[in-house]
Amino acid sequence: MYSQIHAPEGRLSKDSVKVWIISKAISYAIWIAIFSVLLYLDYRFFWYEWIGWVLIGITSLIALSGIWSILIEPFLLYKNWRYDATEEFLQLKSGAFNEEHQLVPMTKIQSVATNQGPILRKYGLYSLTIETMGSTHRIPSLPKEVAIELRNLIAHYAKIKEVDE
Amino acid sequence: MNDFKHYHPFIIFMNLWTLVKNSFTIFIFFIVSFALSSPLYSYGRIAFLLFFTLAVIKIILDWFVDKYEIVNESFQIRHGLFIKNERIVPFTKVQNVQRQTSFIHRLFGLTSLTLETGIAGSDGAVVFEVIAVKEADRIEELVKKGESEIETSPEIRVEEYPEVESKMDRIIHFTPTKKDVLKASFTSFSFLLLIPIVGSIFSKIEKFEWVENKAKGIFSRIFESSFTIVIIIILFIIVSIIIGIARTYIKYGKYEIASDDERIYITKGVLHESAFTITKNNVQAIEIRQSAIKRLLGLAEIKVISAGGVGEGVLEANSLYPFLPINRAYEMIHEILPSYEVIQTMERLPRKSFWVRMLKPSWFWIISTLALLYFKPPIWDIEQAWWIISVVLLLIIIVSRLLNYFNTRYTLNEEFIQFKTGSFETTVFISKRTKIIEISVTRSKIQQLLGLASILTVNHAKPFHYSSVDDVPLEMARNFYAWYVGRIDQIKTE
Repeated sequence: MYSQIHAPEGRLSKDSVKVWIISKAISYAIWIAIFSVLLYLDYRFFWYEWIGWVLIGITSLIALSGIWSILIEPFLLYKNWRYDATEEFLQLKSGAFNEEHQLVPMTKIQSVATNQGPILRKYGLYSLTIETMGSTHRIPSLPKEVAIELRNLIAHYAKIKEVDE
Repeated sequence: MNDFKHYHPFIIFMNLWTLVKNSFTIFIFFIVSFALSSPLYSYGRIAFLLFFTLAVIKIILDWFVDKYEIVNESFQIRHGLFIKNERIVPFTKVQNVQRQTSFIHRLFGLTSLTLETGIAGSDGAVVFEVIAVKEADRIEELVKKGESEIETSPEIRVEEYPEVESKMDRIIHFTPTKKDVLKASFTSFSFLLLIPIVGSIFSKIEKFEWVENKAKGIFSRIFESSFTIVIIIILFIIVSIIIGIARTYIKYGKYEIASDDERIYITKGVLHESAFTITKNNVQAIEIRQSAIKRLLGLAEIKVISAGGVGEGVLEANSLYPFLPINRAYEMIHEILPSYEVIQTMERLPRKSFWVRMLKPSWFWIISTLALLYFKPPIWDIEQAWWIISVVLLLIIIVSRLLNYFNTRYTLNEEFIQFKTGSFETTVFISKRTKIIEISVTRSKIQQLLGLASILTVNHAKPFHYSSVDDVPLEMARNFYAWYVGRIDQIKTE
């Protein structure tokens, strides 16, 4: 009775690990720079003592989370991301510790778009944004041909509308 | 094409009235300020007068500018003095119809009409703030006709609604009896509201030092005799119960739930009358809610989650009567929406999810306990208050988790999903898979180890309705997934 559905198998581009590492490294470098300036100002102008402690605390937290998101998270993300698009459903699966498995009917998809930032462009990758009535889903990085093909595929399937609305 | 109509002129009066009502406190201040001779106040007065005049002018001009027209089965709405805005809303987009008749409306034989579309935001609805009842009837009839012409198109006729009839065969499902209203007034506990007020009045009376000696004498005599105090208290309780019942009666006394083949009609209110219409086809899911007190009294509230939900201010509108006897509630769901049925036997959570839930650290408790430990605030001069509060908090959390575990049930039944969640207040959620627009299954590391999962459904409401159950067995989650995939065999596509 039930139509069978396979577990999603599509994977992200291997380069996405590099993309994540670079983009995370840049954003963390900016944060670290801001806080180093603050720390220097604190040292130079003798601010209240507690400000120094708070700054040190925040900086070390940023450093720790930076290590996590630059050295560990990209690999886990890549390893666990799966997607699949059939005529009826879009499947998205992600997360190592908190595994999330989403099932979106094609008929409920409202729009699909490819996006490309400077880092993605360097590796010839695209990210895909899929909007439904309920939420926005994102496939972070796909090679150009795959991304465009998938976009057109989803757009084609999503054209079909259910009667019962 | 100059058939544009003005809204009812009474709207000017209505808007002026709200303006006066809203600026009443400023107005009082305005009068008082004459007694104060700071230049700042005179500027304030000028600003207020300016604002008030402009507001009045705007209200009057708005009436001249705002127009509507009904052509080609759609509303054309013109609005805006400087920035002209023209909007077209086809009848087919209207999901729900709402009518609110306030006391003032009623005095002049008027009403207000809101036609909801599925779109969120201020442009989502066609609103007639003031409209003659006849005109409202005419518009409602037009909209209905416009809709049914589309609905009788062959594709849908096959499905569920073989023929479209007018309101002649409306069936009334529920009107509250006196007993129901009485029960309702007890659940809402509104009569207890007066007790703190009375208490504070009592304590204040004693503090009035300006009370003349004679009066003081009377008061002290009253308070000396415990007999009179008891009588006064009893009197107050009786009065507050009567007020509570009266309040409940005004709100829920005149209530009617009716339906025909296509729509559900809710009419309510004794003084402020309001009427809602929900198109059955738009019903996305049903919720049966029971608070702790309602469970004791065997009452329940049915909520209808529909795609063209009603404006945020009137959330209650989605609720059929909030104090339905539970058995009647179950029957009524089946009567109103024949395709829905409440399944009484649902599955419980497995033992292992009990431990997952109980042993999960409560961040709320940890953080508040740390804060209490650090500040140690003495309450009512009790030094140990901090750990007492912490322990009480922990107990409440444990009890609510226990209740939540025992209350949680779930079942999948052909095209329906039904689950019950909640600790002190429980909610039974029922929906069809064709009406669910998205699902997800999530598993944390612990859930992965124990073979558990959390399931989530998304329904199209206004804007969305999320419902989830945590810690169901993995097998259930898989079935849930497959069950949802099965919708493709059911849906019809264009």
